[in-house]
Amino acid sequence: MRKPARRSPLPQSLESAQVPERSDQKLAINQTQLVGHLLERGALRYTPAGIAVLEFVIGHVSQQIEADTTRTVECEMACIAAGTPAKLLSKGKQGDSVLVSGFLAARSLKRRTPVLHVTTIEFVEGIENGI
Amino acid sequence: MKLVRVALDVPLPRLFDYLAPDANPCDIGLRTSVPFGSGNKVGIVLNVTESTDQPVAKLKEVHALLRDMPALPSSFLAMCEFCAKYYQAPIGEVMAFALPPMLRRGKLPKARKTTPDLTRQNVVATPAKVDGGRKTSGQSVPTVGLPPLLVAQAAAVDAILNSRGFCAFLLHGVTGSGKTEVYLRAIASVLERGGQALMLVPEIALTPQLQARVAARFPYAHIVSAHSGVPDAARARGFLDGLEGYADIVLGTRLSIFMPLPRLQLIVVDEEHDASFKQQEGLRYSARDLAIWRAHQLDIPVVLGSATPALESFFHAHSGRYNLLELPQRAVAEHLPQVRTVDTRREKLQDGLSQALIDALTLRLERGEQSLIFLNRRGYAPVLSCPPCGWVSRCHRCAANLVVHLADKRLRCHHCGFEAMIPRNCPSCGNVDLQPFGRGTQRLENILAERFPKARISRIDRDSASTPKKWQALLDAIHAGDVDILVGTQMLAKGHDFPKLTLVGAIGADAALFAADFRAPERLFAQLMQVGGRSGRADLPGQVLIQTDYPDHALYQALEDGDYGRFARVLLAERQIAGFPPYSFQALLRAEARTVEDSLAFLAIARKAALTIADPRVTIYDPVPMKMQRLMTLERAQLLVESTNRPALQAFLSKWMETIYSQRKVGGLRWHLDVDPLEI
Repeated sequence: MRKPARRSPLPQSLESAQVPERSDQKLAINQTQLVGHLLERGALRYTPAGIAVLEFVIGHVSQQIEADTTRTVECEMACIAAGTPAKLLSKGKQGDSVLVSGFLAARSLKRRTPVLHVTTIEFVEGIENGI
Repeated sequence: MKLVRVALDVPLPRLFDYLAPDANPCDIGLRTSVPFGSGNKVGIVLNVTESTDQPVAKLKEVHALLRDMPALPSSFLAMCEFCAKYYQAPIGEVMAFALPPMLRRGKLPKARKTTPDLTRQNVVATPAKVDGGRKTSGQSVPTVGLPPLLVAQAAAVDAILNSRGFCAFLLHGVTGSGKTEVYLRAIASVLERGGQALMLVPEIALTPQLQARVAARFPYAHIVSAHSGVPDAARARGFLDGLEGYADIVLGTRLSIFMPLPRLQLIVVDEEHDASFKQQEGLRYSARDLAIWRAHQLDIPVVLGSATPALESFFHAHSGRYNLLELPQRAVAEHLPQVRTVDTRREKLQDGLSQALIDALTLRLERGEQSLIFLNRRGYAPVLSCPPCGWVSRCHRCAANLVVHLADKRLRCHHCGFEAMIPRNCPSCGNVDLQPFGRGTQRLENILAERFPKARISRIDRDSASTPKKWQALLDAIHAGDVDILVGTQMLAKGHDFPKLTLVGAIGADAALFAADFRAPERLFAQLMQVGGRSGRADLPGQVLIQTDYPDHALYQALEDGDYGRFARVLLAERQIAGFPPYSFQALLRAEARTVEDSLAFLAIARKAALTIADPRVTIYDPVPMKMQRLMTLERAQLLVESTNRPALQAFLSKWMETIYSQRKVGGLRWHLDVDPLEI
């Protein structure tokens, strides 16, 4: 069995980890938006410095166009939020529909699968129902 | 021309000559204030002579011979001289160390200053006079109401009391076997004969219990406690009380071994295996070894007591140099606690706790008994790390990690004392989700609180018991039964009896099993045995659970059987093969400089010099970086010398030191010699 080729590890020193210059802003694009419902939600925890952190999973179902055809898409996205969005979402319940946006980052140095770091959050159903 | 030869607190291994027209031979041992360089210093007169090898014209006159304090006795001076010679330290530094700070500065505590008639009065030389002024000498101490002695205890007391002259005893008794009672009986008999007793304990600040017990037993005796926590004036007062013969019992840490006691008839070293008897900085002396020397000098008995004697003492006791007194039975509880290992190799631990330990804790909670979880790691977690980028909280001054202290939101280096706020995000990549890794007592406290929400949990470590007052408050709460589960470091291991404590769980003990230091297993055994001995000390049977990945290790097997002797013999056999102490004697030259190259280069030159003067019986190893190479921004290296012959090593060391003192040093380089080092 062939293992997937490992990408070079992240640079560790501060200098090489610098974000590219403003003129190359396109090279720094990392934006994800997703609507879905809350599948799982961990308990609100705090970092040693006292910042709230919440880990959760969004289940997404929608119609998308691919190769000129409409198709159904389903996926689950592991998410993490820190600070205000974490506190906001900690009040949500399972099944709530939310629109999240943020950036993708590897889970850890060893586990390179992405996690969506949610920076803004919107409860979609709540608005629709006029609550 | 009258001259005095003075020991001054300067890092030079020599004495200094001064003119002193009114000096006479009785002045040996007096403090004197002298001009030195552009300032003044206080030293001790070690000799009064007529001649000097210094140019007479250059000699200065002493400011004063301080006759307001009795001269230090010759036995005191002899011990300092021995100490200086054996540990290769300048005599002036040794003497300065042996005196309490206030006396060292040439002052006296207040009460004494107002007493007019003490000048030139040689109180020490006339014991009869001293006795006349005392209330307690010859007074018998009531023995009614005391617990009856077990056979082994009685035999031990008899052996000590019937000894004549110098005699070293090793009192090897399991925890709770009543070693303290043996000491107290021996001390009682010494007091009855009008003698003084000196009792050394590892950390007196942590053992107010013992102090209270001694005070309660000898209500009429003048007890002096001597340790670095005593305020300056009180310490000087205590020293003078000892010197003038007013003190009956001196209870103190290692530094009290220097206390001059003219009627000293017994020295006791409790928990003699404890590492704190060896000073780890400045004058690196071993109070236990000096106790043996002092007893020999004064021709009196010395008692070393321990449940897990140091291998050196164990070796001497079994080879016949010391008299072995064994207390195989517990005096207080019926049985020794049952010690069992919990195999953690297969089990998935729940926050570091095994099911067996959780069940045992639950049972104690149901029965209303106390439990203790022993984890020898302070703080919340030993390191803070950033999983996405791999950053860890390293100390920028030491080769060590900064420890997470969540209670006060700080990162601390346990080696150099560096402190910082816990960073909001990773200094390397900016991630906020920083993770504390591993487990310290603070985290264990939280884990237990979550798992046992109804239990009253108390953490005892150097952070929670930072002052004697806080420590006492914690102890009081434990004794009052206001605590169900104790989480603690080794601080709890020493000398405390908790009658309601029936379970001790040890976690994370394996770390010490494979430490590079050859004394680590010995220390681990002592520590676990001691902490295990806290359980079941009254009428309730005790249980000790040790979580380990190596349940078949000889150390744990011997612990389960409570057989220190067996384990000690295994270790001794290993040491014999490796040629380690007690089968050899060691000295370690350590150097620290800004770069490790400088340190190593200094040691390389020292090694070259050593090879030219070395006795073939002395082995000189190569300079190597120390295990913990970087400390307080200094890069450290060491050079070990070893011999199976102690006099040969000593002779070599004194010759070697001369060459090292004259050796040129790189700027910022510091070095010291550690004779009989605890760690190499």
